[in-house]
Amino acid sequence: MRKHVLRVTFASALVAFGLAACGSGTGGSGSGAGIQIWEGYTQVEAKAFAHLLAEWNARHPDEKVTSSFVNNDYSLPKLLTAVKGGSQPDIAYVYGSWAPNVAQIQQVVNLTRVVQQPGVNWDDFWTGERDVATVKGKVIGIPALVDNLAVVYNKTLFASAHLPLPTANWTWNDFVSDAQKLTNAASKQYGTAYVTPGDEDTVWHWEALLWEAGGQILNAANTKAAFDSPAGLQSLTTLQTMAVKDHSMYLDQSDSEYGNLFNSGKIGMLVTGPWDLATFPNVKYGVQVMPSFPGASGGHQTISGPDNWVVFNNGSARVAAAEKFLLWLTAAPQVKYFSLATGDLPIRASVENAPGFLTQMDKALPGVSAFVTNLSNVKQARPQLASYPKISTVLGTMVDSVLLGKSQPRAALDSAAQQVNQILASGSS
Amino acid sequence: MSAPAVPAGGRRRLPFSPWHLVLVPATVLLIFPFVWLLVTSVETPGEALHFPPILIPHHLDFGNYPQALRAAPFGRFFVNSAIVAVLTVLGNLVFCSMAGYAFARYRFLGGGLLFAVLMATLMVPFQVTMIPQYIITKWIGTNLAEPAGINHLGALIVPNAATAFGIFFLRQFFRTLPIEYEEAARVDGASRLKVLFRIVLPLSGPALSTLAALTFLDSWNNFLWPLIAITDNNKMTLPLGLATFQGAHSTEWTLLMAGNVMSLIPMMIIFFVAQRYFIRSVAATGLAGT
Amino acid sequence: MAVRSFALRTGRRPAAGRKYDAASRRARPRAREQAAAWAFVTPATVIIMLFGVAPIAWSAVLSFQRNNLFSASTPFIGLSNYRQMVHDPIIAQAIEHTIAYTALFVPGTMIVGLLLAVAMNRKIRFISVYRTAAYATMAVSTISEALVFLWLFDPSYGIVNYAFKLVGIPQQQFLNSTSEALFVVAIMTIWGWTGFAVVIYLAALQGIPQVLTEAAAIDGAGRWATFRRITLPLLSPASLFLVVWLTINALQLFDEVYLSTRGGPLGSTTVLVYYLYQQAFGGANFNFGYASAIAYFLFLILVLVTAVEFRIGRRLVHYRS
Repeated sequence: MRKHVLRVTFASALVAFGLAACGSGTGGSGSGAGIQIWEGYTQVEAKAFAHLLAEWNARHPDEKVTSSFVNNDYSLPKLLTAVKGGSQPDIAYVYGSWAPNVAQIQQVVNLTRVVQQPGVNWDDFWTGERDVATVKGKVIGIPALVDNLAVVYNKTLFASAHLPLPTANWTWNDFVSDAQKLTNAASKQYGTAYVTPGDEDTVWHWEALLWEAGGQILNAANTKAAFDSPAGLQSLTTLQTMAVKDHSMYLDQSDSEYGNLFNSGKIGMLVTGPWDLATFPNVKYGVQVMPSFPGASGGHQTISGPDNWVVFNNGSARVAAAEKFLLWLTAAPQVKYFSLATGDLPIRASVENAPGFLTQMDKALPGVSAFVTNLSNVKQARPQLASYPKISTVLGTMVDSVLLGKSQPRAALDSAAQQVNQILASGSS
Repeated sequence: MSAPAVPAGGRRRLPFSPWHLVLVPATVLLIFPFVWLLVTSVETPGEALHFPPILIPHHLDFGNYPQALRAAPFGRFFVNSAIVAVLTVLGNLVFCSMAGYAFARYRFLGGGLLFAVLMATLMVPFQVTMIPQYIITKWIGTNLAEPAGINHLGALIVPNAATAFGIFFLRQFFRTLPIEYEEAARVDGASRLKVLFRIVLPLSGPALSTLAALTFLDSWNNFLWPLIAITDNNKMTLPLGLATFQGAHSTEWTLLMAGNVMSLIPMMIIFFVAQRYFIRSVAATGLAGT
Repeated sequence: MAVRSFALRTGRRPAAGRKYDAASRRARPRAREQAAAWAFVTPATVIIMLFGVAPIAWSAVLSFQRNNLFSASTPFIGLSNYRQMVHDPIIAQAIEHTIAYTALFVPGTMIVGLLLAVAMNRKIRFISVYRTAAYATMAVSTISEALVFLWLFDPSYGIVNYAFKLVGIPQQQFLNSTSEALFVVAIMTIWGWTGFAVVIYLAALQGIPQVLTEAAAIDGAGRWATFRRITLPLLSPASLFLVVWLTINALQLFDEVYLSTRGGPLGSTTVLVYYLYQQAFGGANFNFGYASAIAYFLFLILVLVTAVEFRIGRRLVHYRS
């Protein structure tokens, strides 16, 4: 049977894509000489990182590093697929909250001895970072990013409400009362906002309050829930007062509107991190530490969400090159350059203490120095358990149900504690 | 062209077709997000970072477009997306017409089962099949044909060069065609392939152009599979390129929207062209007549 | 016209001189036809088998394993994952949400699409513009779609509540309300798919010979009667196609939920695929075996529903022969 037409079509298609596929790939399969790093840097971070890469590549032409962009939200599926398929990168940027699980991947390199080497100054990295990079005593990552939560407030709105600006020893009573006074139903203005997608973003904002109230998420052995304590009750009730009673809290289901609302002058105060400062060009903002609970042991404690660079084993030569690159990347001079160029907090304490550094940071990104000094308020990290993501889901539902007015704090805490205890009892996974 | 005839009842004739009164508001509702996209793409970041969004900006900033183009090698991304989309459409048109025609007109042993199995591939979410698909594609690249393996454009083309959707769609369509033409041609001694390509396909303008437009759209906007399969920055497609505007904590809305608008233009052109073929050929008006 | 010219060109006479008795006419064309049919379907089948069926079969195997994406060990645990599903309270909720959503989405999209297609099936000025506008809804990326609807339905700042205020309807919580969020997602996706339904129905409407509708008009049938008796039945193949395809997509809803509500508030928009994604990658569990089991369960539902739709279709759908 004559398949003339078909043959021609098929043949031309083959030729076309053969040419195209060959032509469009200039042998850049990446696995030649050199290692590959996956990161999700955008905007200023991308520029600063590219600069550092170029600097390294110029000095080490036979240990070139190429980077591949993968948006952080999607990096986990991509990474896990690559691992399962045997095509993992040499270095990847991994969210800190995944660390306990990522540590289970066979190809992840144990960096404990690497970071103990002289000259690395492992203790120069912040406590929170080191806690998150270490899983069951094994160091599986080198800190890539550190941040923390503080209060960003709208000076103009405070002035029009004739309210004194937040001071360094303000309390949650002040915050709640300020929020109420800053709320104006007629002009649709809210005192504060909270993100309610129910995921870790919802949870960690509350966990900071729990710690300030003197509470803990789990007991010391990580075998039982400890958040259903008076501290848990106090922290949840504070949020409930604003969301349900005073209606001074805008609930952002999408986790993306609160920033624009603040920038439009519709929100008085936000508990957020340094990454948002660049998105408030239209607001005269100030930054202050989080308020404390009067009489509580937590003080003005805050929470941090460090991320890690993780190394994957693609052969000892590449591992050695990857380690060398990472140690250089996270050395003080590079950290200083990156922080000043991007406004990201310095991952090393020594960089913060360098003279003039804070002023320079404020020049790059006004108000960020308050976040830098706030790093000393980071006293602990979230439990480094493989089951933490499951616990986080339970806690997220708990916080959301209280904020949406569906349940009372006491009942919500008890129910969540019960579920968390079940999760812990059944082991992780 | 002209307003419809005045129905018996003597309604007053409008200077334009009354259908516009329905279509205009409907169209406004339909293109509203597109308008928002367009407006954001010419705003300054200061005005873009507003909620509720500003629809009538005070300052226009057309510089977002050149800035977006410079931010990443969009020219390359565009070419990659185009190659992948065109070849995917060609593949679908050829392979799915053949298969769709067979399912529409022929009863063959195992045909029912095969159709069911093919349809089944539409019923499992990609999130679950992507890891096996990745491994299979990698294996093909290593053992059969390198351009079809991961990190090559072929990996984006070959798995989608025929879909059960296309087969199903064309099968439904072919069955609506009057079979007399095909039977007459067979009686005249035409081979089955000739019947398909010379008789059926020319009568299938609307369906083929619809399938082409839809396949193009799907391929152009495909994100998750290219994300996983492609690591080389040179081989990325447009959606991956646009993702470079979305950081972990903040998004460059103005640049992202400018990129989105530029990405939409080829699709709109394709559709505008394709929808002309929706007009059926005269032969479809009946068996009589030339 | 194509046929006649073909015959004229080749000058061939149908099967002159060949002996056709009843038996051989049945037997030989059958075998030839079978071979031809298989040849026709082979290219597409090979591709779909390799990249569609094989991964699905592979996932079936995974569903019988305890497969944590992070660890290398994947022990075989039999039906454990499926048993876990039966005891998982969230699965029941996810099924409920998925079905409720599908029941809203499929008829909604078809009706809106049909109405618009009928309106656009005429030669009036700007008709190309209107049709292209319908396509635009498909071309807009999901993230833009999600953002716009998040804004439109914002309880405080959205246009919908503003419009409600103007006509005296009480303000709604929309995406902050556990009872309303699924509706909003349905509306958002109906909007997104209207363009597709319009395109399909337009192509089908174009295929309806005008002589039929004109003849009905001459016979005195009203517009609605013509529509019901002539147009709708002739559109039934397209309708069947839409019902099946929209159902397949509705039961697998994911993107819009991921980009707007994240399954919330309080899990009220958690549909099956979103739940299985959470199980696999979403930080809940990294339990890929369980996710595969859920996918297979969904697959069974889909096969069942599709089969029912085809069965009903066989009775109601008119193909011109």
